[in-house]
Amino acid sequence: MRLLTKLLAFFRRDFAIQSSYRSAFVLELAETLFAAASFYYLSKFIDGPAIQAALPAGRSYFAFALVGVAFFDYMNVALNAFDQALEEARRTGTLEALLVTDTSLPVILAGSAIYPFVYESVRTGIYLVWGVLLFRFPVSQANWPGALVVLLASILAFAGLGILSASYLLLFMRGNPAKWLLLGASGVLGGMMYPISVLPPALQVLSRLLPVTYSLEGLRAALLDGAGFAALWPSISALAVFALVLLPLSFVAFSWSLRRTKINGTLSHS
Amino acid sequence: MAGNAIVVENIEKFFPPALSGWRAFFSPFARPTFRALAAISLQVAPGESFAIVGANGAGKSTLLRILTTLLLPTRGRATVDGCDVVRDPAAARRALGFHSGADAGFHPRLTAAQNLRFYATLRDLTSRQIEARISATASLLGLSEALPRQVRTLSSGTVQRLSLARAVIHSPRVLLLDEPTRSLDPLAAAEFRSFLRKDLISHDGATLLFASHSLAEVESLADRVALFDAGHLLFCGTPAEMRRAVGAQSLEEAMSLLIAHALNAREA
Repeated sequence: MRLLTKLLAFFRRDFAIQSSYRSAFVLELAETLFAAASFYYLSKFIDGPAIQAALPAGRSYFAFALVGVAFFDYMNVALNAFDQALEEARRTGTLEALLVTDTSLPVILAGSAIYPFVYESVRTGIYLVWGVLLFRFPVSQANWPGALVVLLASILAFAGLGILSASYLLLFMRGNPAKWLLLGASGVLGGMMYPISVLPPALQVLSRLLPVTYSLEGLRAALLDGAGFAALWPSISALAVFALVLLPLSFVAFSWSLRRTKINGTLSHS
Repeated sequence: MAGNAIVVENIEKFFPPALSGWRAFFSPFARPTFRALAAISLQVAPGESFAIVGANGAGKSTLLRILTTLLLPTRGRATVDGCDVVRDPAAARRALGFHSGADAGFHPRLTAAQNLRFYATLRDLTSRQIEARISATASLLGLSEALPRQVRTLSSGTVQRLSLARAVIHSPRVLLLDEPTRSLDPLAAAEFRSFLRKDLISHDGATLLFASHSLAEVESLADRVALFDAGHLLFCGTPAEMRRAVGAQSLEEAMSLLIAHALNAREA
């Protein structure tokens, strides 16, 4: 109960801060509409036999790209949420104030990430709503529970990467260059805008090392094909393995970085 | 040792050297060679008000940060309310309230009340306790009118009072304050000292350890005082004992003489 109350306090804090920027939310709504419209008209322009041959039967390029773009942002959020929370806490001087309360580090990290993920979920929902209402995005056969499980597994796997990135930032007081490499590689190899089957075989092997590949595959299968849990299992299990490895590793790395900053006296440096 | 609110035993703290360029990139792994505290030992009894004085860089804030668990000591041991700050930091943090002396540390776009509610929740107070404590503390610290205002619109002195309110909102058994009245006007500073003395120490029985550059504040608030110089503890006793030790008329004079003696001794 105490844990939930604390996590809720972080969410309320971040919601109140974001609500103070009133116009930003409206502009974000408009931005999702423009993005959905762009993919719709792009798909009308480029949808042809070659693209249909590369996509699984029955999928339109618009639906494929919209799912890719909408859900790729979860990876963006995961890799940036912890970094931004840490930078903001250092900039405002709230990091020390948080760390002298009797709130454990995992709770502080989890609490700081709740709002960005909830906000991203709302944003993704709006993407899909625009797609359904205005551009005939197909949802009639979607397996929503399956998509939710894939999404939760994706968030856990991505969060591990995000906490690892924040560990680097905490220790070195500058952004993690590997984060940008990972985001770039995921954008190219993860199947966001095109199926990975169009990549050369060597790059297809590399794409299998990225959690976002399994995430987008699973989400497309659940949302566009209505795939059951048995068909989604390869994606879910791969993401679970990423989460099981990355989350404990990231907590160990963050605890170690925090200990180093307490030894060096650089906790509040930015 | 048993029964003391704060115990510091042979605490030493070394920091790594400040590096720049590529060497700075690897600074987290540099050997700590700069000594900030040298085998400091002191005890503070429950309900006692204890001051640390000394020039800038003497090690006052370093000791306070070790006690708050924001820094790890290189050697030695310290406890807060009986809890070891290295082995059981969570329990030590539960017992303490801390004010860093800075007029920062708040979310500028949240109101003062929203900020206090957030930190009070992290201190495990219930909603009812939070509202009661915010109201009482704000009233005592003259913050009532500031509560509905965003922190970014508050003056430096008001933010500092807000930081003091945050430090005491959960009625801590041990209060650690780093220059508690630095940005306060003389009237507000006097009121705050009275609040500390009457409400927190006499009424609630809290223990106070504070660092200050204001020797008048030390005279009016501290039962005992420790003088730090370049990481060394030069003197520990009552303000009157400190004056008598060197035959000084004032604490300021006593402090100057003790530091000069220490410097002469080191040079000899």
